[in-house]
Amino acid sequence: MSLKLFFFDELKGYAKSKVMLVLWFGLPLLSFLIQFVNPAELEGMPISFLVAIVVSSIGGTLSVIMLSTTIVSEKNRHVYELFLIRPVRRSSLILAKFFAVYLCLVIAVSISLTIGLLFDAITGDLIENYLNITFESLIVGISSMAITCSIGIMFGVLVSSVPLAAILSVYLGSQLSSLIILPTFFIPGLNTEVLALTLGITLTIVIMGINILLFNRKQF
Amino acid sequence: MVLNGKKSKDIAKKNDLNEDKLIEFRNVSKRYKELLALENISFTIQKGEIFGYIGPNGAGKTTTIKILVGLIKDYKGNVYINGINTKNNWKNLHNLIGYHPQEAGFQEWRTIDHAFKTFGCLSGLNSESIEKRIQETLELLNLSQERYKKITHLSGGMFQKLRLGQALLHKPQILVLDEPLSGLDPQMRYQFKKIIKELARSGTTILFSSHILSDVQDIADKIGILNQGQIKDIGSPENLQNKFHIGNIIELIVAENTPLCEGLEDLSEIEYVEKVKLNKQLVHLKSEINIDLVIYLIMNKLKEQNCKIRNFSLVKPSLEEVYLNYVRGETK
Repeated sequence: MSLKLFFFDELKGYAKSKVMLVLWFGLPLLSFLIQFVNPAELEGMPISFLVAIVVSSIGGTLSVIMLSTTIVSEKNRHVYELFLIRPVRRSSLILAKFFAVYLCLVIAVSISLTIGLLFDAITGDLIENYLNITFESLIVGISSMAITCSIGIMFGVLVSSVPLAAILSVYLGSQLSSLIILPTFFIPGLNTEVLALTLGITLTIVIMGINILLFNRKQF
Repeated sequence: MVLNGKKSKDIAKKNDLNEDKLIEFRNVSKRYKELLALENISFTIQKGEIFGYIGPNGAGKTTTIKILVGLIKDYKGNVYINGINTKNNWKNLHNLIGYHPQEAGFQEWRTIDHAFKTFGCLSGLNSESIEKRIQETLELLNLSQERYKKITHLSGGMFQKLRLGQALLHKPQILVLDEPLSGLDPQMRYQFKKIIKELARSGTTILFSSHILSDVQDIADKIGILNQGQIKDIGSPENLQNKFHIGNIIELIVAENTPLCEGLEDLSEIEYVEKVKLNKQLVHLKSEINIDLVIYLIMNKLKEQNCKIRNFSLVKPSLEEVYLNYVRGETK
């Protein structure tokens, strides 16, 4: 009950604080801009492929920064005390944040990719080979974003300074998430999509489990 | 005067005799690594009582309050609410309590309406009750005009009201207020005190902490003095003042244009005489004396000198003096 309430509250919060707007329109716009700024090197590359790469890499970094700095700031402003004196599960607070940010990012990715695909269909740049790679990048991106979201929550729970949380997020957050594709470099023949999905789900569950334990032990 | 362990236990025993207790702390201790924040504290609060909890900064007031509202669960001893031990029983107790924290923020994107709806929902109110209670609470706090304003656009005083509002929203039986009056202007303080008194009259049990003694004296039925993690004394403001013989001062006022009484210092029971005004003097008595005997001796002296007395009274220590004596006694 409290998880559902917190989840929709978080979504409303992101909508009202314009975070959604920036994510859902900013990311596709950024992909287009890159194409126009440096068209020579991207000759022949469909927009949809470019969008998938840009959104996956930037989305991961954004999620870890968003989550870690929001949690640290809310901890420091004693926001959670007013929730925790009521009959709610502590875990609901961080799970709601995780799902809300992750959903926002998945929607951002979907919007960006749809626009990219539409653009390619109109311009006639839709190439089957690139579609496969786009799909692969998308799966890897979405899986790694789940991990970065959980890492962002971990930084938020453990750290008590907003700048430190932001620095750690930039240095480590998105880099750690790229671990999910490392095995493909050493073990030939591994299916990248299956590996990314399996490791993404497993690592996210493990990290979120640790986060819940840490948050439950936290004294407010 | 500092209470030793035995006296502290006596206070706890005396409180135990009253069956109408709603809150009970029994030998509660809390340690933060090296710091012993609370040391074996015991006290009870009766139904409908306003309990003022005073002590200097760092005395352990907020720790006590956080234990009472369930934010700190790792402590020694037992806390009972309505006779139920709070350890592992929080599920049914949370909604009995409304808590106004000393520091608490709200997510900046929320309006008062949105924040209250969330808190109401979390406290188990249905949508009809939430609407009704939001209106009642905002009217009580004079915040109806601000209902749809973003919380970040509120002034400091309104923000404080908002903190109180969220605590009152679900009509709790127990209201726990941590420094509710700090940072408020005189008008707002008056308004807050009025609300607190009205709530107590309607049966709400209130614990509030403060280091502003006049506020405690104005509102509280019972006061607990806390210093360095220990309860130093508990009682009504009058009882605390009466039992505390700080210096025992006698105020003497003589008729206008008549000389002040002389030679009182000759009495061995008198520490010194302070001339406050042309017709007023304060006689400071030594401690550990027989007050009746001293009054008799002073009366005789005044009679010998034919002093035209207009007022002869024993001055009670102010609550502030009682409090300072406990605090200074400890730090000396």
